[in-house]
Amino acid sequence: MKIRIKNKISVSEADRLIEKYYEGLTSVKEEKRISEFLLQEDLPERYAVEKDIFGYFGQKKQKKVFSISPFIRWTGVAAGIISVVFCLHVLINAHSTNYACIDGVKTTNMTEIKTQALASLFGMSSKTNEVEEGFKNLDNHESVEQQLKIFSVAEH
Amino acid sequence: MFQIERKKKNDMRSIKKYLIPVLLVIVGFNPTLKAQNDLQISRVFDQYGNKKGSVMVELTDEMLEGYDFSLFKSITISGNPQAADFIRKCLIKDETGAKKVKQVVANGVLTSVYLQLPRKGQLYRLILFNETFTPIEKITLIYIESKNDSEDVLKLILKKK
Repeated sequence: MKIRIKNKISVSEADRLIEKYYEGLTSVKEEKRISEFLLQEDLPERYAVEKDIFGYFGQKKQKKVFSISPFIRWTGVAAGIISVVFCLHVLINAHSTNYACIDGVKTTNMTEIKTQALASLFGMSSKTNEVEEGFKNLDNHESVEQQLKIFSVAEH
Repeated sequence: MFQIERKKKNDMRSIKKYLIPVLLVIVGFNPTLKAQNDLQISRVFDQYGNKKGSVMVELTDEMLEGYDFSLFKSITISGNPQAADFIRKCLIKDETGAKKVKQVVANGVLTSVYLQLPRKGQLYRLILFNETFTPIEKITLIYIESKNDSEDVLKLILKKK
């Protein structure tokens, strides 16, 4: 069986480095390669001893990751949400300014804006009671009752 | 090494899993987002608002003639019959579920309509459209959002000046 890891260390290469390690001749870089090799899952049983020796360092490393990772994760999520809410708030407020656009020219003069707004409303105004009449028309109960009355009279 | 990489991938996956729905909820339920965006007439303001011959006004949370509007948006377009046709098409879609307070149809063409739209949250919404032909062809379209009852708003703003 030939096992290869990301940095192309083969089993024979790992064996050679482990042997060198026991002889006390490995460099820091070589020890790092051994530990990376041993961190792999599904290694043959014969590496159990080396795994125990190097596992100490591995566990130590993992512990560090576990203690920091959730904090960073949730800080990141919280920061993301806050920034999005802030951006939305800024975006919406920027959009909600008062303005008038006359022939493509934008103005923020409040007097001009209100004059134009009232002018458009004036274009809508009509007879005094027109709106009230409109509301009355919405309520059709009376007219329905009147129509039904005709039939009740006819029956008698 | 591989375990750490896998963990990082899982972390990213869980961030995506929670962050995206949270963002969608924030965007979806933000009450300050404009209620007019679901209406077809918003396209009229976008399309004709900056053109020559148009006057567009937007007022937010302002007093106008003693009335407190959450949003007042109007557009007046002169001498543009195509714009009038476009507005009429938009109004056909927007009047679904709305109450027609007034409607004037001249020679089969809608020239005036006041619509009370269904409430959106706390906001009462109104659309007013009017087309006049004398002295020149002129269209007025108004969209109003108010926390006050839309019937009261209509009675107040449409009384004869």
